[in-house]
Amino acid sequence: MNSMERVMAAVAFGSLDRIPVIAQVFGHAAIVAGVPLDEYIQDGEILAWCQLKALDLYGYDAVFSVMDVNVETEAMGSILNYHKDQYPTVETYALSKENNWGSLSTPDPEQAGRMPEMLKALRILRRELRDEIPVVGCVMGPLTLTTQLLGMETALYLAIDDPDRFGRLMDFATEVVIRFGVAQIGAGAHLPIVFDPSASPAVVPHQFFREVELPRLKKLFESFKQAGAAVNWLNIAGPVESILPYYTDAGVNIANFDYCVTPHVASDKLPKTCLDGNIKPLAFVESAPDQITTEADMLLKSFAGRGGFILSSGCEIPPESLQENVAAMVMTARNTR
Amino acid sequence: MDALINALLVGNGADSIAHSQRLLHAGVSVERIVIEGIEEAMTSLDEKCTVSQFNLLEIMLVGRSVTDVMNYLYPGGSLPAGSKDTVVLATMEGDIHDLGKNILKTVLMGKGYRVVDCGKDCPLQKLVDVSEKESPLAVGISGLVTSIIPLVKQVRGSLRARGLEQVKVMAGGAALKQSSAERLHVDYLAETAFDGANYLDRISGGAIP
Repeated sequence: MNSMERVMAAVAFGSLDRIPVIAQVFGHAAIVAGVPLDEYIQDGEILAWCQLKALDLYGYDAVFSVMDVNVETEAMGSILNYHKDQYPTVETYALSKENNWGSLSTPDPEQAGRMPEMLKALRILRRELRDEIPVVGCVMGPLTLTTQLLGMETALYLAIDDPDRFGRLMDFATEVVIRFGVAQIGAGAHLPIVFDPSASPAVVPHQFFREVELPRLKKLFESFKQAGAAVNWLNIAGPVESILPYYTDAGVNIANFDYCVTPHVASDKLPKTCLDGNIKPLAFVESAPDQITTEADMLLKSFAGRGGFILSSGCEIPPESLQENVAAMVMTARNTR
Repeated sequence: MDALINALLVGNGADSIAHSQRLLHAGVSVERIVIEGIEEAMTSLDEKCTVSQFNLLEIMLVGRSVTDVMNYLYPGGSLPAGSKDTVVLATMEGDIHDLGKNILKTVLMGKGYRVVDCGKDCPLQKLVDVSEKESPLAVGISGLVTSIIPLVKQVRGSLRARGLEQVKVMAGGAALKQSSAERLHVDYLAETAFDGANYLDRISGGAIP
């Protein structure tokens, strides 16, 4: 089985030669290649080269064209601060509550900000890996993009103080994300993973997720499927137990779960959905390889009778993670039949 | 007082101020409004917000109403001399995510602490300088990115080097709480803002002097 077949079989709860393992390696790929992080997240060619190098080193089952959480908001006018060895941060948000948003238009992924570089990376990765290894793009979820356009506090207060206006901005954010995600699929991504940290129950109550975010996620994932996405993958970190039951309705095929949710709970809430998780991200920085091996082994045993599982971290593997820890997770899956 | 507490808990700032006004006109002291109104509301929120039910939106809404009422009761922002201990808060250099810190600030102010906010992206040197000047009960550090961990590990040692051994160091936030107090070289690692505030209550004795 190649990696693509293995991941698709896991999604379908089919038979496997081994459990797939996908380390969520983004900026860590730059560290592995000895490239400054700020170069990695601004140059599609460098990003693709680092991803291929990390793939060679670790031998996991997917690569990512992921820069950071600010690609869409920057393309829409947010000003970022770039740092040599860290992800960029927003200095000025694209929108303010006082703005007139009447003239907003969705950015062209072939022109705006770093979007073309992400597409470039996807084209290279797909050309090199064809259909043997999943090539994964990335978009923000509608709520996360909305909070990235206004700032978290302003956006959440607006959601309560002026829900109609907030809803219109969410609809616009959804259109932005759909256009960007569809462009990624067109450039060669087998799928764009949807990152939606602002939709975590640590940020908003599950009722807010159900009423505000779920309908837009559903629209997003339907659009990606129509554009040819192999599967739909949602990553929301934190204590997601209360929102997992909504994932099926949203059209999620792969559901990431973080370290604060147990495999038993995740399986119980989503019995027919492929799960990926959930080693604590910081463990790749702080732990020793034998601890990662033990953790990975326990996870594999937890899902042995169920199927529908991809061994992974609960969220991004931090850039400064120890290589031997990432390798320990990957080797545990590769050595387990 | 119950009406004020309810208005605060649903995040209605206008009603919260209106009820505070009514209480003042009825002869209730500012101190009683703070202790029996605002602090009670924060206690109720604390009981409701277990680790699994804690969400920023709800806390932000209550926090905004608490701030509205505090600004009304103390125009100009000067808290009375009888407030609880001082706490110095910061998000360390390299981290510009200050929402968690701001939530903790609101919770602590609502509980009567005097808070000195060093802001986000705060250099270690500034944190130590401010601590030396303010003689706080504790320093609170919030972190959303793992890259600041090496700096967090230096805080307690830097305070000690300045002769501030008595100042407790508390950490929290999505990145830091994946670690442990021992690994971070801090005295306490808080799961939530309320968990952190309760720790401070325990080490300060919890009573307003």
